[in-house]
Amino acid sequence: MLLQILNGLVYGGLLYILAVGLVLIFGLRRVVNFAHGSLFMVGAYVGYAVATYFGNFWVGLAVSVAVLAALGVFLDAVVFRPLQREDPIVTVLVTFGILLVLEDAVRTIWGKDFLSLKPPEALAGTVQILGESFPTYRLFVIVLAAAVAIGLSLWLRMSRIGLFVRASSVDRTTTAILGVNTDRVSIIVVAAGAALAGLSGTVSAPLLALSPSMGSFILIDSFIVVVVGGLGSFSGAFFAALIIGQLHNFGVVYVPAAATMIPFLLMVGILIWRPSGFAGQHV
Amino acid sequence: MAESFAIEGVGLTRRFGGFTALDTVRIAVPDGEIRGLIGPNGAGKSTLIDVLSGRADDWHGTVRLRGEDISAFTVQERRRGGLARSFQKTNIFPELAVREQLEIASWHAETPNVDEVLHEMGLVGIAHMRAADVSYGDRRRLDLALALIGRPTVLLLDEPAAGLSMKESVALAELLRDLASRWKVTVLLVEHDMEVVFSICDRITVLHLGRVLAEGAPDEIRKIPEVVTAYLGSTVE
Amino acid sequence: MSQPSERIALPATPALARVSRQVWLALGIAIIAGSMLPSAVTSTLAITLLTQAVIGGILATAVGLVIRQTGLVSFGHAAFFGLAGYFIALPAKHGLWPLELSIVLAIAMPTLLAFLLGLVIVRIPGVAFSMLTLAIGQAFHEFAVRARLVTGGDDGLAINLPRTVFGVATEVFQRPQTMFVICWVALVGVLFGLHLLVRSRFGRVTTAIRENEERARFLGYQTVVPRALIFAISALIGAIAGTLFALYNGFVSPESLHWSLSGSALIMAIVGGTRLLWGPALGAVVFFFFKDVAGDLTEHWPAMIGLMLIAVTVALPMGISGALTKLLDRIRPAGVRRDG
Repeated sequence: MLLQILNGLVYGGLLYILAVGLVLIFGLRRVVNFAHGSLFMVGAYVGYAVATYFGNFWVGLAVSVAVLAALGVFLDAVVFRPLQREDPIVTVLVTFGILLVLEDAVRTIWGKDFLSLKPPEALAGTVQILGESFPTYRLFVIVLAAAVAIGLSLWLRMSRIGLFVRASSVDRTTTAILGVNTDRVSIIVVAAGAALAGLSGTVSAPLLALSPSMGSFILIDSFIVVVVGGLGSFSGAFFAALIIGQLHNFGVVYVPAAATMIPFLLMVGILIWRPSGFAGQHV
Repeated sequence: MAESFAIEGVGLTRRFGGFTALDTVRIAVPDGEIRGLIGPNGAGKSTLIDVLSGRADDWHGTVRLRGEDISAFTVQERRRGGLARSFQKTNIFPELAVREQLEIASWHAETPNVDEVLHEMGLVGIAHMRAADVSYGDRRRLDLALALIGRPTVLLLDEPAAGLSMKESVALAELLRDLASRWKVTVLLVEHDMEVVFSICDRITVLHLGRVLAEGAPDEIRKIPEVVTAYLGSTVE
Repeated sequence: MSQPSERIALPATPALARVSRQVWLALGIAIIAGSMLPSAVTSTLAITLLTQAVIGGILATAVGLVIRQTGLVSFGHAAFFGLAGYFIALPAKHGLWPLELSIVLAIAMPTLLAFLLGLVIVRIPGVAFSMLTLAIGQAFHEFAVRARLVTGGDDGLAINLPRTVFGVATEVFQRPQTMFVICWVALVGVLFGLHLLVRSRFGRVTTAIRENEERARFLGYQTVVPRALIFAISALIGAIAGTLFALYNGFVSPESLHWSLSGSALIMAIVGGTRLLWGPALGAVVFFFFKDVAGDLTEHWPAMIGLMLIAVTVALPMGISGALTKLLDRIRPAGVRRDG
């Protein structure tokens, strides 16, 4: 039972790190990044490639995060910023197109077959938790997610950029009027969001099998987390990821079809009740 | 005095977020009158029109149409009752042809007077053009024309002359006065253009900071000092 | 420089009488050409692919209709497609009732569901609506995958067809040559029906609502029910596609409910162009061409589709069909252009 809960925390943790990136991007640019799952996938593959080449997981992780951050900057400059003035659905469709391109790119470079990455030596064993054996690496993921949560929370509260992010989330126009260079803040934030996707991707590699469709797979869950958590809410995403992680895991083992539909139905319910987060005006 | 007014609002109050847009406003327009509604920016004129036409929510008070309480009526129900309005920010159907949108409007009207309205509003020449492709002035007239389909009994106009040239405004004013008398329409007209207001209105209500400041015939109104002060910088002649 | 309007006021004559000669001609040619195609194309593989393209085209038309008449983008239309399939497979598996009834239900039930759903969700604007349809579609998919006892889960369900249905031998559904004609006629029929629909009062009113929902209300129109009806009609069309698919393949699985199918249909609609009713069907042809024909030459057909989607979204909002018609208009003088 404890193991089940812990496993749920693992998936929830991965989901949280990924979803928080989505929240950052949505909060600033007010766009739904359909390519976010693909960023997760690219992160996983880049991490895999570098780690395999250098024989070192941590190098792979670092490079992956850096590459994804750069990719985020590129996306912001080439897609999000130019399409700001258009109907938000345009960005959805364009990022959907990017999803297809990225999946194809990955498939071309690494092929369709499932790949796996071994966890780093240091974390390869198991730990004892309340008499049960639990893989160290999985514990690492949980701890990492918690660290991201805490770090993010501190950053939002204490740093200048964090302040701007929160201000922009609440009221873009006023923040812009106050002279904050929203565009510059956006680049940093989008880069951070993409980097988090990459982090989640690489970290997930030893746990999930790598495949070009892994991004699409986790994309929907991350959307659910963002919506159910309350658009633009970081703490909301935290709790939503927690819950969805547990449901996902229990669903695999115990629970009937109905329960696994709960996340979707929650998302539907919330979008019906409070769609204004998406509609261009912030709640 | 059990006269029933064409359109009447009693105790109209609307507040949002600590700001009072309307404060127990009473306005009563008798049948066939052309009433002007003036006041400086932020006085609550558009809000009053919104409340009367059913566009606003979150308000208190009573709205009566020919004596009948329509406070709870939907926008569609008010239209059925003969209440129509135009908009300050042109509110038309950009992709549709001029004639097409007037036709669509006519299907919900008792008197489908598309040709009549096209003619009265001088839109015959552009009847087959896409609304997005015509001039600003024509679009303003189209906005008004949509309200005229079906010969409404009460017309609420929100700055119909906005953005129009002097010549166009004068023409519009004359047209309104003419139509009002021929069709026996009661008109409540929000306007900043004082020429228009003073030339065609039978009476004028002055709104300031959400309250009725003064009400009376045009000649009386222009003499009231408070009105002049409230309008610092405007052309009250 | 002013352009004459595409929509000219029409007198109140019966819908069929107003259909222009061009359209009748096109209808006739389409049906005849389609019926003759299987004789001309000998490769069974090619016919099979074309049949799939036509079915895809019907689904894409459904998605395109919603965009055209309401401005809303649905990411979940596979729900109606797949649901129709399961409405055929499940009763057949348990021998509940004859196939005839299954087909009727397969088309009617998703339509009804869509209408009820539509009453609630069409009020929701923009991207929120799209995310909503995505979630709803995936909810159905999730259920189909999880409820193994009922739906057979990921393995899907085989459909055992009886020997005849509606007096016709069911093997016509399984033979590519005949099935192509059936699907083609269905597509042409759907397009013709939509042609009548958009020219009708209902069609014109929904166009107006799409243009300016608020003003439509102020003109006295109810705006929720008409849009829900459009959504329902599009579900009906999607269900027709799903029914044909199920009958053809003799099989249904959760893949018919997956958002990637919805996404593909959406791409077909956007790339083909939604302003013209036949745009999405053209998009389907392009999509399947890339997938199956270009797919043999290059592995990169998904990337090409992705790039096309981006290009069309950003630079070619009227889609390929729009671009084609604009091109044709330049060649011949502008007259009354049929808008699909």
